[in-house]
Amino acid sequence: MKIQLQNCQFDFEQRFQLKDINWQIQAGQHWVITGANGSGKSALVATLAGFGDKIAGTVEGLVESVAIVSFEAQAALIERERKKDDADILDVIAVGTAVHEILAEGDVNASIVEDLVEKFALKYLLDRPFRALSTGETRKVLLIHALATEPKLLLLDEPFDGLDADTLIMLQRYLAELSHSVSIVMVLNRCDEIPQFITHLGYMRAATLAHSVARADESAYRELFQLLHLETSDLQIPPTADSSAKALLNPDQPLVVLNDIGVKYDQLKVLENFNWQIDSGQHWQLCGPNGSGKTAILSLITGDHPQCYSNDIFVFGFNRGNGESIWQIKQFIGYVSTALQWEYRVGTSLRNVIVSGFYDSIGLYSKATDKQRKIADQWLALLGMEQRADQSFNKLSFGDQRLLLIARAMVKHPPLLILDEPCLGLDDINRQLVLALIEKICAAGLCTVLYVNHHSEDTIAGIENYKNIEKNSTNID
Amino acid sequence: MSNNYFNTLALRDQLEQLGKCRFMHLNEFTEGVDALKGKKIVVIGCGAQGLNQGLNLRDSGLDVSYTLRQAAIDEKRQSWKNATENGFTVGTYQELIPTADVVLNLTPDKQHTAVVNEIMPLMKQDACLSYSHGFNVVEEGMQIRQDLTVIMVAPKCPGSEVRAEYVRGFGVPTLIAVHENNDPLGQGLALAKAYAVGTGGHKAGVLMSSFIAEVKSDLMGEQTILCGMLQTGSILCFDKMIEKGIDAGYASKLVQYGWEVVTEALKYGGVTNMLDRLSNPDKIKAFDLAEELKDIMRPLYNKHQDDIMDGTFSSGMMADWDNDDVKLLGWRAETAETAFEKTAAGDMDISEQEFFDHGILMVAMVKAGVELAFETMTAAGIIADSAYYESLHETPLIANTIARKKLYEMNATISDTAEYGCYLYNHACLPLLQDFMKKIDTDVIGKGTVNDDNGVDNARLIEVNAALRAHPVEHIGGILRGHMSDMKAII
Repeated sequence: MKIQLQNCQFDFEQRFQLKDINWQIQAGQHWVITGANGSGKSALVATLAGFGDKIAGTVEGLVESVAIVSFEAQAALIERERKKDDADILDVIAVGTAVHEILAEGDVNASIVEDLVEKFALKYLLDRPFRALSTGETRKVLLIHALATEPKLLLLDEPFDGLDADTLIMLQRYLAELSHSVSIVMVLNRCDEIPQFITHLGYMRAATLAHSVARADESAYRELFQLLHLETSDLQIPPTADSSAKALLNPDQPLVVLNDIGVKYDQLKVLENFNWQIDSGQHWQLCGPNGSGKTAILSLITGDHPQCYSNDIFVFGFNRGNGESIWQIKQFIGYVSTALQWEYRVGTSLRNVIVSGFYDSIGLYSKATDKQRKIADQWLALLGMEQRADQSFNKLSFGDQRLLLIARAMVKHPPLLILDEPCLGLDDINRQLVLALIEKICAAGLCTVLYVNHHSEDTIAGIENYKNIEKNSTNID
Repeated sequence: MSNNYFNTLALRDQLEQLGKCRFMHLNEFTEGVDALKGKKIVVIGCGAQGLNQGLNLRDSGLDVSYTLRQAAIDEKRQSWKNATENGFTVGTYQELIPTADVVLNLTPDKQHTAVVNEIMPLMKQDACLSYSHGFNVVEEGMQIRQDLTVIMVAPKCPGSEVRAEYVRGFGVPTLIAVHENNDPLGQGLALAKAYAVGTGGHKAGVLMSSFIAEVKSDLMGEQTILCGMLQTGSILCFDKMIEKGIDAGYASKLVQYGWEVVTEALKYGGVTNMLDRLSNPDKIKAFDLAEELKDIMRPLYNKHQDDIMDGTFSSGMMADWDNDDVKLLGWRAETAETAFEKTAAGDMDISEQEFFDHGILMVAMVKAGVELAFETMTAAGIIADSAYYESLHETPLIANTIARKKLYEMNATISDTAEYGCYLYNHACLPLLQDFMKKIDTDVIGKGTVNDDNGVDNARLIEVNAALRAHPVEHIGGILRGHMSDMKAII
């Protein structure tokens, strides 16, 4: 068996379309398809049973012997039963089809039915009308029926939903046994339910199969889970410690005013006559090619650029160069960049990395309070890393490090969050992870976000102001 | 004419000054930079220490500018570029010194006498003059105007580290002192503490010391274990491996990076931990080699300490200053010509553990050098805390410089004074170890031992472990690293 979908587009009664689907299922593979609600998981799996109108692309190798258990199939059967009722013109109370009749429909193996009815402990309802069953019971009946048709390909959409613990274990065991002879594709929303026999994971995003990962590729497999967690969980940005720097700001003043800025090194002018004002609550995207001075602008704001003392800069109530310390400035800023990640080569724990955000330090040099540790743990839970709180930061994958540094930057709810090319150097999954987190942060409305990217098309929902700078470094004659 | 200040003191005063060293508690720095707030700080010299300390002080909210010689400004020398590109005001001595409340003299030792003589008449009444090395005051006996406060603030790291640690939100261990002859207003300590806070040093630990203890221990450390032993060891280990037919690229790499790797273990857990990284038979071997090395080198360490104490070293070096640095420059050129220096490190992988397993002799040399320097210093009246910082603590920092660009980088990073002392040591130590090296084979340098069996004699292992742990440098190291890690949860 080898099923192949190439560049496919499917339409589902004009309500929904799948696009750019490329997918290959080889013999012996078992897939879980996951993704956020509405991303098209069920639709994708249904195409394997011939549902949906193919508008474009090629499909090869679909098997005849396929069974599907899904909410849609369940709903269709219930609808059929209801229609039977409506169609009945006799003035009697329609009882509808009994469960044992449903289970005998089509080409089914009666001994399998018998065996499974036993296993699911459903004997008591065999004679009841199908319509009278609870949702969970109809689901079990459908499962038994599908399995009894002895398909070569079994499609299960959320098969574990609503099952009690004992039944769940029984079903998982049964499927594991079955997986030796039958290819299984299932839709699952919960990562912790993925059975051992599953060999591949597919991730749906915006109506396309965005990622396909073999289970053997452990790091990619784990990242997909994290992405699922960030995109699907109802995440709350954790609170901050009692003393947020925000209270120190005059709400009527802009956060940042850069006035007629000039930066030059020896014979090279990097910036000239640059002006910018950032007001509180105004999310900005700063764009410009490499070498246009984006990083110089940011480091003038953060105080990391030595020429901030020879320019006219107002930040967070300070006219720079009047006796304020750099730590008085940094307390208002959360900052993430690739450069920070290179700097952050420390063997400290994930929890300490997040706590270090309270102190604006690279590494932790102060004793964390219980409250700070608790907040750090809430961030770790948000990132799906709570199990790894005591692991060493430098052992993390590059993408996980980036996520953690974003949490570090956000932990104190800074009035200004600067994200300097936060997706730089990340692969697609990790990019989406980072963007998902940033969107959550923007949506929470806790800080003003300054997002820097050299692609103006890489936008983040919620950012409406754009500052473009041209490559303007010139040699001084 | 120089006049050795230390030698003018009575023995009891010498001992009192040498014994000054106290690890300060973080809560002694609650005033922050207040004592320097609003004061005008003028830095003389804009090299690595000058620039990086200035950057830190300015980022701590202090008013910093730089003064350079007219010629450096006119010719737009590197020091001028360093200062102006970083947005500092730069002016001549005549322009800036008279406005300064605090003058930081961060020029090389050699220039101190000329610089201080030139600025002293320009300085405000009751101003403060700060050094980061006490050589000029102690060894040259510089007499400073009686109204001026004279302090020393010496970060115990290269300038680049001073900056990098500050930016991370930390600092580097720093030694402070007040010149007891020049503290007319009694404000020296307050100024020195504020300065240490301004550079971030208070977070990493501050030692309250004296000009004399700083000079006598600093000179001893840098000449012997820190630079001298690493230079001599590099040359001997490399040449031995070549003689035994080991690939030159491998030998070069093992030595260049080996010091850094083995002393990293030293930094975390002292000599004990460094030796614990070896297998039991190898540990015993390294221990025995180190004992032998200590016996051979002890007279040399004593001689260095004696020459430093009685001023023989400094007068010899000053004679070379007056002779256009002929010796220093000659030795520097000679170092550049050594086979180790001229052989590039190969591109093979050497695992972290392999540096230990194939570098047993290097481990032994570090152990011998650290312990001897510590023993010699403490025997000369220098307090254990000082001796620890000037021996064990700084060894990994110097080893890092060798990893970057071999002996060239080390000698370029350290002061001319340290470099001069390093060559002196090297010249005496190479012949001293000649016979010892004859018996050395690749089992302890280059290839490692081939033990089919890691068995050792129980009694001997217990003896060696106990001896390692009982050394006084391990005792004080445990206490000081404990202080450090209280403040710095990670290293």
